[in-house]
Amino acid sequence: MPDTKKEREARNMLSITNSKVFDTIKILISICIAFIITFVILCLISEDPVNALVTILTGPFRKTRYLGSIIESFIAYAFAGLAAGILFKSGAFNLGAEGIFIISGVSVAAVACNPITTNPFLHSALCILAGALTGGILMIIPSFLKAKFGTNEMVVSLMLNSIYSGISMFIIRNYLLTTTTNTVGSKDYLETAKIGYLYEPLRISACLILLIVCTVVLYIIMYKTKLGYQIRLAGSNPKFSEYSGINSFKLALITSAIAGVLAGMGAACQLLTQTSFYQPDKSLTGIGFSGMLLSMLGRNNPIGIVISAFLIKYLEQGTQVLYFVDRAVPSEIVAIVEGIVILLISSQYFLRGFREKKLLQEGLKKDA
Amino acid sequence: MRETILKLDNVTKVYPNGTVANRDINMEFEKGEIHSIVGENGAGKSTLMKIIFGIESPSSGTVTYKGEEVHFNGSMDAIEAGIGMVHQHFMLIPSFSVVDNIILGSEPKSGIFIDRKEAVRRTQELSDKYHFELDVTAKVSTLSVAKRQKVEILKTLYRNAELIILDEPTSVLTPQETEKLFEQLRQFKDQGHTILFISHKLEEVKKISDRISVIRNGVSKGTYKNEELTMEQLTNLIIGRDLEKDFDQFKTHEDFHDEKVLKVEDLYMERNGKPVLNHMSFAVKKGEILGVAGVEGNGQQELVKCLTGLEKTAYEGKITICDKDALEMNVKQRRELGTAYIPEDRMGDGIAASLPISDNIISTYYDREDINGRFFMNQKAINKVADELIDTFTIKTQDNKTAVGSLSGGNVQKVVVAREYNTRPDLMIAEQPTHGIDIGSAELVHHKLLELRNQGAGILLVSADLNEVLDLSDRIIVMFNGQIAGYFPDASKTNDQELGLYMLGARHQSEEEIGGALNA
Repeated sequence: MPDTKKEREARNMLSITNSKVFDTIKILISICIAFIITFVILCLISEDPVNALVTILTGPFRKTRYLGSIIESFIAYAFAGLAAGILFKSGAFNLGAEGIFIISGVSVAAVACNPITTNPFLHSALCILAGALTGGILMIIPSFLKAKFGTNEMVVSLMLNSIYSGISMFIIRNYLLTTTTNTVGSKDYLETAKIGYLYEPLRISACLILLIVCTVVLYIIMYKTKLGYQIRLAGSNPKFSEYSGINSFKLALITSAIAGVLAGMGAACQLLTQTSFYQPDKSLTGIGFSGMLLSMLGRNNPIGIVISAFLIKYLEQGTQVLYFVDRAVPSEIVAIVEGIVILLISSQYFLRGFREKKLLQEGLKKDA
Repeated sequence: MRETILKLDNVTKVYPNGTVANRDINMEFEKGEIHSIVGENGAGKSTLMKIIFGIESPSSGTVTYKGEEVHFNGSMDAIEAGIGMVHQHFMLIPSFSVVDNIILGSEPKSGIFIDRKEAVRRTQELSDKYHFELDVTAKVSTLSVAKRQKVEILKTLYRNAELIILDEPTSVLTPQETEKLFEQLRQFKDQGHTILFISHKLEEVKKISDRISVIRNGVSKGTYKNEELTMEQLTNLIIGRDLEKDFDQFKTHEDFHDEKVLKVEDLYMERNGKPVLNHMSFAVKKGEILGVAGVEGNGQQELVKCLTGLEKTAYEGKITICDKDALEMNVKQRRELGTAYIPEDRMGDGIAASLPISDNIISTYYDREDINGRFFMNQKAINKVADELIDTFTIKTQDNKTAVGSLSGGNVQKVVVAREYNTRPDLMIAEQPTHGIDIGSAELVHHKLLELRNQGAGILLVSADLNEVLDLSDRIIVMFNGQIAGYFPDASKTNDQELGLYMLGARHQSEEEIGGALNA
């Protein structure tokens, strides 16, 4: 062959037939299509659709407060996405992050309402630890039942979601119930438990640092260590990993424990920065399920997941800003963008014909 | 000049992963001929058959059937047009009777009900007409493999197929059964059917074909009359060079003092109340290949699973690997004793298709020191191992990051064999190591197995391909119904005809003779 290996690699890097390049292009085109459809809808309901679209896209930059709100609120979602990502990557169909968020919240609230220590750093850290431990231990249950008794993970984890939120309500009602208001919620957290800002204008807190550290560590585990190798192997072909001598039982427990720890930390971050007391039926609902969508958007890659979480929250903020400007456009419009992007990215067939044609041309060229 | 029934013009097929399976294929098939298509696996034979049978559509080019250009939209269209296909893996429902299997999808009706009487009459008539000797009311699960194949063929005839595609039909048959099948094929030919015969076994192709088409690397290398070609020319056309056939010259005979790497004593396992492994005893010595012959489904798969530790059902007996009692050990522990395993189902058990070659090629020794740092896996070392193995095993790929699933069958198998070879095993369990792969890759796999043998590894070769067993083995056992039916202490002193009799259960050696398998 006349060209060197390096040249071939360089050409391959830029070619659409390379699957990584193709995936990126697919995501970008999906986003464009989603915006075109959104624009059409905006044309129907808004008097100034161009301005509306521009507001969605640039709105969050108009005030630092808006950006700060994104940074603060996306953290828990990112944690949920990471938890779902590692589970999906290992091939587990465990949809239990939702319930884990809610019940970990109880542990967090329990620690946050009690004067365990006067050191604010230590108190917050203990809250996060409580959430992480609760999540880590409870997330194991569906995997354990599956490995030991062959139960269906998806059914068990969904069922546990209901059980956990029931237990959470029970504990809050009976042991931590607030005396000041009429709602079903915990007492107020002590001031020492709350997590403050490191940089107030952008609402950067220790939670953001925790998220970044967790993402990097998770990325390294997934792609650089033996554990990550085992997870990827088991996830892409469980029979093959068994053939290779990997202990799938142990692996499933470790993976779900990690996912649970991540979810528990996410719950703690959300509660200690965004709320002053815990309501099991309000404070954390929906985050665990959103995590699965984010994991899909980020293709189960930790860094991709965190970026998707940020972008989705960015869009939500954008539509919020638009709502202030143009009351005709409901902020729910963001759900349309999300829905279309996820639909297109997860579609196997979208753009496939185009890629095949390219491949055909390339294949024929190679031969000539 | 005879009538052309099927014509392919410039047929090209590109798969989504970029594999160009067929490129500008031009072929003509005449009515009433037996036309073989040969080529290495991954050469594009199966794809071409799928195009003819309507399962895949060509990326470009045209298919002309009976003078009309056709665009089949799925196999139903092809069946309607009169094309039938007998797949390598049978498409039958075991719990249904022969009749039910045959009429499925085109049932004779009276009102809204299936006319069973008519169905039985028609299938029985068809079976008798072609001398199939089938009881059409029997359940398929009670039939032998050869009979099941007949049911498959009958299925195509019932649907009035004029063109019948047979994909590797002899791979599951004994020599005697193959002979019978050929007689039948000649009969079909005399009645005006066209047979498309696909096989890796060139002796058979030479024996049965009127004409032979060769495909190499997705490109047609021409169609030849059978008598125009010698065996050597045919091989040369298929792989582009001559093939070494005599394996004996590669065998060295170092003395390993009859040391045993594997000892199996009185192995017994039941499934559904029936014994599938019935008190088997044998041993594999250092530096030898013990061949296990037998028709598929006589306990070979279960035996291999018991030996590798993958079997979930309880089994009893004694398994000794390298002088350690291995019966209670799991897969990992047995591998640590020095066991390597080439699985039969390479796509299912042997690889993770979506992961790159580099990940696949280390899966059974990913925790070995040389490819791990203190905390992290040493990516550089892994790449080096992968690149070296890609080189030595001539795996055709762009680089070691290519997903294994996008390689051809032969190259996938090379990845599997390369990995197991690289564990430097004392005991290699090779299960159908060249099943369904091309001659070139098969040759390489055979040579690597011999290399291991010469270095002192003991190899258990389980294969339904008798020639493979005969060519490679030092000693041979034949399995029938979960038992050892025959033991041959010198593989060069027996032949396929003799083994065939034991495989079919027509002969059975005495306890004493079989005992040699363990004690020799």
